[in-house]
Amino acid sequence: MTAVATRPEAPTPPTPQRRGRRGRQDWSAYLLFVPAMIPILAFSVYPLVQGILLGFTDSQSGLNAVTSFTGIDNYVRLLDYGLFWQSFGIGLIWAFSVTIIQFVASLCLALLLNANLWGQGIARTIALIPWAMPPVIIAIMWRFMLHPTYGAINGGLGALGLPDDTNWLGTAQWALPAVIVVGVWAGMPQTTITLLAGLQGIDDQLHEAAQIDGASVWQRFWNITIPGLRPVIVAITTLDFINNFNSFALVYVLTAGAYGTMLPMLFAYNEAFRYGNFGLASAMGNVIVVVIAVFLFVYLRAQAKARTA
Amino acid sequence: MSISSDLRRDADVVERDDRARRRSRTSRRIWRVLQYVALVLFVVFLGFPLLFLVTAAFKTQQELQSPDPQLLPAQWNLDNFVGAIERAGLGQAALNSLVVALATTLIVVLIALPAAYALARFQTRLRGLATGWILLSQVFPFILIIIPLFLMLRPLGLNNTLGGLVVVYVVWSLPFALWMLRGYVAAIPGELEEAGAMDGASRFRVLRSIIMPLLGPGLVATSLFAFIGSWNEFFFALVLIKDEALQTLPQRLALFVGSEGQVALGQLAAGSLLACIPSLVFFAIIQRRLTSGLLSGAVKG
Amino acid sequence: MTSHRKRDTMHRSIRAIAGIGACAALLTGCAFGGGGATEATTDPDEDVTLTFQSLAFQDATIQATQDIVDAWNADHPETQVDVVQGSWDNVHDQLVTQFQGGEAPDIIHNEASDMTGFAQDGYLADLSPYLSDDVVDSVGQGIWDSVSIGDEVFAAPTVMQSYVVFANTAAFEAAGVDVPTGDELSWDALRETAQQLTADGSFGLGWGLRQPTAPFMNLALGFDGTFFDVADDGSATIDVGEGELAVPEAVHAMAYEDASLDPVTLTQSGGDVLPGFLGGQYAMYVGGSYLAQQIADSAPEGFEWTVLPPLAGSNGSAQGTSPQTLSVPAESEHVDRAAAFIDYFMQADNLAAIGEGDCLIPASETARAELETATEGQTGWAEMLASGSTLEAAPFQLASDYPQWKDQYATPAFQEYLAGTITLEELQQRLADGWDQVG
Repeated sequence: MTAVATRPEAPTPPTPQRRGRRGRQDWSAYLLFVPAMIPILAFSVYPLVQGILLGFTDSQSGLNAVTSFTGIDNYVRLLDYGLFWQSFGIGLIWAFSVTIIQFVASLCLALLLNANLWGQGIARTIALIPWAMPPVIIAIMWRFMLHPTYGAINGGLGALGLPDDTNWLGTAQWALPAVIVVGVWAGMPQTTITLLAGLQGIDDQLHEAAQIDGASVWQRFWNITIPGLRPVIVAITTLDFINNFNSFALVYVLTAGAYGTMLPMLFAYNEAFRYGNFGLASAMGNVIVVVIAVFLFVYLRAQAKARTA
Repeated sequence: MSISSDLRRDADVVERDDRARRRSRTSRRIWRVLQYVALVLFVVFLGFPLLFLVTAAFKTQQELQSPDPQLLPAQWNLDNFVGAIERAGLGQAALNSLVVALATTLIVVLIALPAAYALARFQTRLRGLATGWILLSQVFPFILIIIPLFLMLRPLGLNNTLGGLVVVYVVWSLPFALWMLRGYVAAIPGELEEAGAMDGASRFRVLRSIIMPLLGPGLVATSLFAFIGSWNEFFFALVLIKDEALQTLPQRLALFVGSEGQVALGQLAAGSLLACIPSLVFFAIIQRRLTSGLLSGAVKG
Repeated sequence: MTSHRKRDTMHRSIRAIAGIGACAALLTGCAFGGGGATEATTDPDEDVTLTFQSLAFQDATIQATQDIVDAWNADHPETQVDVVQGSWDNVHDQLVTQFQGGEAPDIIHNEASDMTGFAQDGYLADLSPYLSDDVVDSVGQGIWDSVSIGDEVFAAPTVMQSYVVFANTAAFEAAGVDVPTGDELSWDALRETAQQLTADGSFGLGWGLRQPTAPFMNLALGFDGTFFDVADDGSATIDVGEGELAVPEAVHAMAYEDASLDPVTLTQSGGDVLPGFLGGQYAMYVGGSYLAQQIADSAPEGFEWTVLPPLAGSNGSAQGTSPQTLSVPAESEHVDRAAAFIDYFMQADNLAAIGEGDCLIPASETARAELETATEGQTGWAEMLASGSTLEAAPFQLASDYPQWKDQYATPAFQEYLAGTITLEELQQRLADGWDQVG
């Protein structure tokens, strides 16, 4: 770790000698890959391909059930499957809200942690807590916090004289917002730390020069900080979005999908492992991949354009 | 914003007129106060839930279900911890989690290290493929992989076994481990190896006596991430492990929540707290380095 | 394609992992389906060990189950039974994957309505050749029907749950309300009593209805509400009318018109609501009879309680029930031995012990009689056993898509209705439309 800490940007030096030896070393490079390649091919690439293909079959549970290729039948069926699209919509609301709120909150926190405030060391340590907890435990903990009668949230609201009888996880009105807050909480440290690392990579002299020119805090933020952070922002929001869309454990424990929180992953899990419709569930997985890919494509292309413009 | 820039700004400000200076001072002070308020709010938001969990772990069932909750328990007693380990079977689950996480870590590091070295040092076509796979593996939803995996493990006799879980975790942790290790290897100057080679040391000796020691901290960090990843994982365990005696800690705790009848809340809190200890310790150790190097490398790498 | 060939395809594919060309083989034979299963009879001299996945979760029942197994093991050295613990919360998912993975336990504990679908998928062995006449005769035909498809019996019914009203007698006294007695308690009387017991800060009634479907379907029989008309093959048509909706309507009225039922409890589990009942927040508490065990276990000193007479609608105190069951997977290598154990488990004194531990009513009449003698004079037992005499097998148990309909449509619809976000008409519509979607 020290190596990286002291030389965070050390690139691979492609020295001439190495290039000269390349032919001889090619095969040894492949050899070094073999131990990693076998499990990857056997337990990642192969099942993935099979999973994609399963989405085009009628595979389901049942003793001696016969599986056959059904083409796009599953997708025609999905078009009509109202609950799936409902869940899909919930998934989009969830993933966008969590990613955006997480980003804004984390950016604020990262700026604060980078502002030479007293006690920022302790603050930084505390800000890491959610990262250090397993999702299942985070969910258990927040169930305690959000309990309508003996939870800390309602207790705190009551102490402030606010309404203290909100049934956070037990009503369609509040369950999704409450779950989103927990999602934001759980993912903030990664986003904050990444943005902080990005902030520390921005040259101080740029800020100083702008200040001498009389630029306000806001002007400097928009014209120096944000452009300097852009690659990091794109990377972390992309990763967060994918992770959030695929999230499972948190909501499984918090609400199990009740009261309007049925995320697409929970829905597909149920379709496969509760109702035994493996083919249909795989088809849902395929649809989800395509939609995520479309969003990412649009987003990344817009960002690339913004950068060249 | 650094101290030196503040000083320079102060010097700059002296040249302006008095009124403007006073106004700018006040507004800067207000700005500072607002910053502290915001920081405190963030700290409370991110830190309070854990504090709440810690105190809950020491409370009795009556205290936990009192309609008038107090933050601190009336008495700090360890009954819940004893109960969680003995009665709720969390001890066995923790042992399972430990075995799985250790085995996963060991295998991941052993197979990722040579591949990471090759990725960092050689320009081969595999490099592009590997990077592509690492990115791709992030996009695909687990559901697409778990159904075929679940069906594959049966003929291999690995379904519902800790061994099967280890296989899945190894594959699942590999992308990140490869990514991290590649960065660490790349950070070691290639000249070191070449110098060693010129002194006549064999390639193996160069790797063992020059590269490995420098890679030590990186290996530790990668191992810890792999360990924590497996320790925390829930989804695969939920699908693959059916025997109560083989359940992992998160699985066990998740079932605890949903269990019929009255839940022993104190034990649940105590068990949850115990399950966090490995990762809390890990993050306490590495937190200083997290901002300085680890991620800046990953972000820019 | 036989399963044998399918498995071969799988093996070959794994060997040929690197070649993505295996796709074609995968498409046709994705390694689904288990081995070909024929009813397995075991060599009488062979020693076997069977796994018994039990869902017992209360201490007394866990102990009672273990005692039965120990007694069996002592007498049957050639057939040892190992108890493994399962959980009611995920038993369905667990069985789907266990069956698919070919590792279902030899003896499966669950409830009838959840097992029907598995039986229709061919996963369960027919127990009828193995059950003794005593066992068959001790259980009523109606209950046997709820665990049979045609002539095949896919499960043995053990104990049954009824919904009862628990009452904090001290709270009745303090409010000057008489504790209802008699043969039955009408829903109107329940409403009235709850109103009388509601004062500021406390409600007359708490009811943990987080999982509302089963209680509503079962209690609907009291209003002649049967929901389904089931054909022999498990297909069914739904009819949601007045009888079906009477109970949700009454609960809704108590929560929102009378404000005598705490609406928060409607989103919680029975166990979650219990502390409020024990703490005096709710004078009455509706739930499965099994909760009596937990009240007895965790009531504070001096807490006085009883069970009110069975709830009755326009059709009397009839209630549906989905009995707990024991089944054997068709793929088990020792169907005969596993069935023999189930037959033993079904003996009257065993079922009486299980019933006593869980405060549930044995499906066997002889066991019920035994339990009646054993529990004479204990709080609540007479009333609970009385409610057991009007238990019926509700038609929904035999509808094979019931579990999916319950999860995806009925439960969310009932929850929204109970939360006051949809009207009774919308509820009716969603229950019926949901069934069409599932079927």
